[in-house]
Amino acid sequence: MIDIVFQLIAFFMVITNFEQNQADERVRLPKDQLARPPEVKRDNSFTLNLGFLRDSQTGQITDPDPYLFFGPDRVNIRDCATRLRQEAQFYEALDVDLAEVTVEIRSDGDVSTGLVQELIQKCQEARASQQSTEGFQRFALRATQKTD
Amino acid sequence: MTPLIDVVFQLLIFFLFTLKIIEPEGDFNINMPLGRPAEAAVTDAELPPLKVRLEADPGTGDLRNLRFGDRDLGGGPEAFRALNQEINRIVLALQNVGPADADNGAEAQEVELDPDFGLDYKYVISAISACSGRVTAEGTTVPLLSRIKFAQIREEEQPHVTD
Repeated sequence: MIDIVFQLIAFFMVITNFEQNQADERVRLPKDQLARPPEVKRDNSFTLNLGFLRDSQTGQITDPDPYLFFGPDRVNIRDCATRLRQEAQFYEALDVDLAEVTVEIRSDGDVSTGLVQELIQKCQEARASQQSTEGFQRFALRATQKTD
Repeated sequence: MTPLIDVVFQLLIFFLFTLKIIEPEGDFNINMPLGRPAEAAVTDAELPPLKVRLEADPGTGDLRNLRFGDRDLGGGPEAFRALNQEINRIVLALQNVGPADADNGAEAQEVELDPDFGLDYKYVISAISACSGRVTAEGTTVPLLSRIKFAQIREEEQPHVTD
């Protein structure tokens, strides 16, 4: 009996993934069979979740405007410059070059592409301070791995 | 023994409750240096980028037409298959340019995606996927082009108002 219970615990310990805490469940990622997890874990990266407010039962979109989700907060893309500047300042404080930081964009598949492009542009324009010359340059567009 | 099994059960319950079935996620890398991605100067050593235009249905955000260079490839899933074949053909041609240039031609080749503002993002992911790799019949992935970027953002289409 205890052997089986230990086996079960070992099983759950192995499959429990505590690392994906930056993922937001409200975002319904597009699916693609070539979306593979990176082979080497990135040293410097942060995640932006872009999605819609949805009905928890039906999954229907309740607000046509997409938002960036930061935990319980949500921000319109056009108002996210302050958040991105804070991220840039964080990496500058760590003495990390922003060109080495990857911005992982988790965007809902139904979001307009132009808004994702605007988000990328805002990341490129994010500056830690007025003396800074460059913003984020590396982007990773996330998708769910489709297996068929 | 009894306290031990109590603790073990507690652990078991903890893992049962924290278990969340998450679908595995992957990503596509995009390198977009500063400022104006579409205006980057093309030097003699570089090939001009391959242009992939994605036209949206203004009402629904669905893909209406995919254009690769000056060829229309249609709007359904077969458009992405056709794009994948075209890219595959170009990569093979670039790899056969000369032994000295073996993989370099394909590695240096850029793709520029030019989607309509209102196009659903899932179609862009499909286009990036079609450009970045090919799945063989055996299920292995053959990488194609890795340098993918976006063109300038297009203007947001305004709904037509008729009097």
